[in-house]
Amino acid sequence: MILLESNNYIIQTTLAEKLVKPSSLDVQFVDFDGVRFHLSTPERKTCLLLSMSIKCWDELVKYGVDNVLRREYGDRLQAAAEPEYNVSLELDLEKFPPAGEEREALVRSISLLKRNALAAPFELAFETQKQLAAGGSGQGDLLALHYRDEEAIYVQASSDRVTVIFSTVFREETDRIFGKVFLQEFVDARRLSTIQSAPQVLYTTRDPPLELRHLPNLAQSEDVGYVTFILFPRHFANPSVAESTISHIQNFRDYLHYHIKCSKAYMHSRMRHRVSEFQKVLNRAKTEVAVVDRKTVSGRSLVR
Amino acid sequence: MSLLAPIICDNGTGFSKVGYAGNSDPSFVFPTAIATRGPASQATRSGPAVPSKPGHLASKRGVEDLDFFIGDEALANAKTPGYGINYPIRHGQIENWDYMERYWEQTIFKYLRAEPEDHYFLLTEPPLNPPENREQTAEIFFESFNIKGLYIAVQAVLALAASWTSSRVNDRTLTGTVIDSGDGVTHVIPCAEGYVIGSAIKHIPIAGRDITQFVLNLMRERGEMVNVPPEEHLKVAGKVKENYSYVCQDIVKEFRKYDAEPYKYFERYEDEYSVTGKNYSVDVGYERFLAPEIFFNPEIYSSDFLTPLPEIVDGVIQQSPIDVRRGLYKNIVLSGGSTMFQHFGQRLKRDLKQIVDRRLVDNALASGTQVKSSGVEVEVISHKRQRYAVWFGGSLLASLPEFYSSCHTKAQYDEVGPSICRRYQIFGSAT
Repeated sequence: MILLESNNYIIQTTLAEKLVKPSSLDVQFVDFDGVRFHLSTPERKTCLLLSMSIKCWDELVKYGVDNVLRREYGDRLQAAAEPEYNVSLELDLEKFPPAGEEREALVRSISLLKRNALAAPFELAFETQKQLAAGGSGQGDLLALHYRDEEAIYVQASSDRVTVIFSTVFREETDRIFGKVFLQEFVDARRLSTIQSAPQVLYTTRDPPLELRHLPNLAQSEDVGYVTFILFPRHFANPSVAESTISHIQNFRDYLHYHIKCSKAYMHSRMRHRVSEFQKVLNRAKTEVAVVDRKTVSGRSLVR
Repeated sequence: MSLLAPIICDNGTGFSKVGYAGNSDPSFVFPTAIATRGPASQATRSGPAVPSKPGHLASKRGVEDLDFFIGDEALANAKTPGYGINYPIRHGQIENWDYMERYWEQTIFKYLRAEPEDHYFLLTEPPLNPPENREQTAEIFFESFNIKGLYIAVQAVLALAASWTSSRVNDRTLTGTVIDSGDGVTHVIPCAEGYVIGSAIKHIPIAGRDITQFVLNLMRERGEMVNVPPEEHLKVAGKVKENYSYVCQDIVKEFRKYDAEPYKYFERYEDEYSVTGKNYSVDVGYERFLAPEIFFNPEIYSSDFLTPLPEIVDGVIQQSPIDVRRGLYKNIVLSGGSTMFQHFGQRLKRDLKQIVDRRLVDNALASGTQVKSSGVEVEVISHKRQRYAVWFGGSLLASLPEFYSSCHTKAQYDEVGPSICRRYQIFGSAT
């Protein structure tokens, strides 16, 4: 598994199961970046309520998340969210389409709730870029998305491109080194002729890129790094391409951390292998202890 | 971020149960299997793949170490050419750490979709797990995954905690005998105040798999299986075991009942052959009550293991220190799928009570005193969450506020090192 999926597996499997056999339910679970979900049947077995709490909801509202969710989920979107959560969907299993492709597509789209919510600023930026391109010049607002305690995504539209900047923080020394190597390789990988059309990636540590310099209270330390993606219209002009661009770019941080962890696991398995090799060498190097058969006075062998 | 629920991970020999604390059922239950590139045993011989030449990543290095499947996907891909299937856990203990590390990696990132750095983890270990294994586990979780905090609990203790939900339990005690019967093996484990009495643990080589095999034998002998396609035999036997079996109080009476009114007691099981789509059906008869009977009369199934379960339980408790025996008799807790049979608890209680009472009478006779014993209370507790009792107990304990203070945190680990995980604090019990 190289890429992470953008849909939530628990929602998908639970819904598929409940569609076959409805039963009462009350589960809470999480997704990456501190997103919390609550799936329950408050009234009857066939009517599920899916609520989501997301850290940067207030910012998302500013970027028009309501429109995006309304477009995706229509009437299923509840006017008032469950307390402690930001958004709720009501899923009436009786109103689901009959088993088949249509139903699967719906289940999948529900499991993409987090992705769709986070898509709002990107869609807004793509839209702004189109307007700016018509005008010929200028820059859109810098859309900040503080999706974790210490990290944020910044999206800015210009007349010919959309810039996406991730700030990353590594709390662990080892992670920082792995992350640095990984990101440098990531930048280098673009030189390969096969992926020339991929977005340009820039990586800086410590100093924020020029787009962000004016922002107050940016953390300035060795642990902080900035990854900049430059998306050109070819990455989002076509709606289906734009969709996959958004899905992939959202998962960037989790992807990065997943791969750092995988690299560590790989290193560990190399280490374990090496240790077992060394142990074999040591075992071979053991000198054989000469066994002298010691006798007691009566002539029997002495065993200790 | 401490609001995020802790993750409970119960990796068993057959199945892994994983999910978030606070829920009543695990989010995922899948086989503890991993399908990797190459035949099953190759990796141990030549070690993990090494990149041929140094250079920048994308051009040369492969991604062999990422090319694997876990759980149901692993079983589905087992027959794909180039993949070999591995079971990293044997007899409850982790054997292959390379596979296990990757198994956890995918459990967390693909299935649970959690950033491990934001979560506390509760893992389980079998009784008599060597402390070295616990250290290894801690090393992986703290160093690879940078988790916030870790608690490794003994499965038996979690099963005791799960029984607190039963209406018959009114004090939250961690003293009791756990009968844990899964697919491969059955354990009888005495626990005193949250600590396992290791010297008294007994294993019984009869568990879910044997019951299924026994049902299959019975049905074959009766000739019911002739119209069932051979590759479905085990599946049918498993279904019959799960759906129709119960524990009877007296075999002879039960046989008579069946013979007198076969139409009332015989059931009919129908299914469809997955290859041809043809329907078939079988009659389910005596195996309904004979299947779980192998716990109480093992001689009907095996010729080398002959001690009935109640006697084993009694022996285990008699081997434990004398001051906890009363508590052990009073709180016998069932856990695992193979204890789910109807009336299993009642039958066990009755048989055990007989053994205990007989001994009391014998003692009184032998000592010749007139003083009468007040008797020993025997109670077997079955509850709704028996199937995933260990996981549920973990979920229960991890949602207590004390959980966070009983965990070892990342900072403590960095300070002391893996040896910190040799000790864990017991918490949650009222006594």
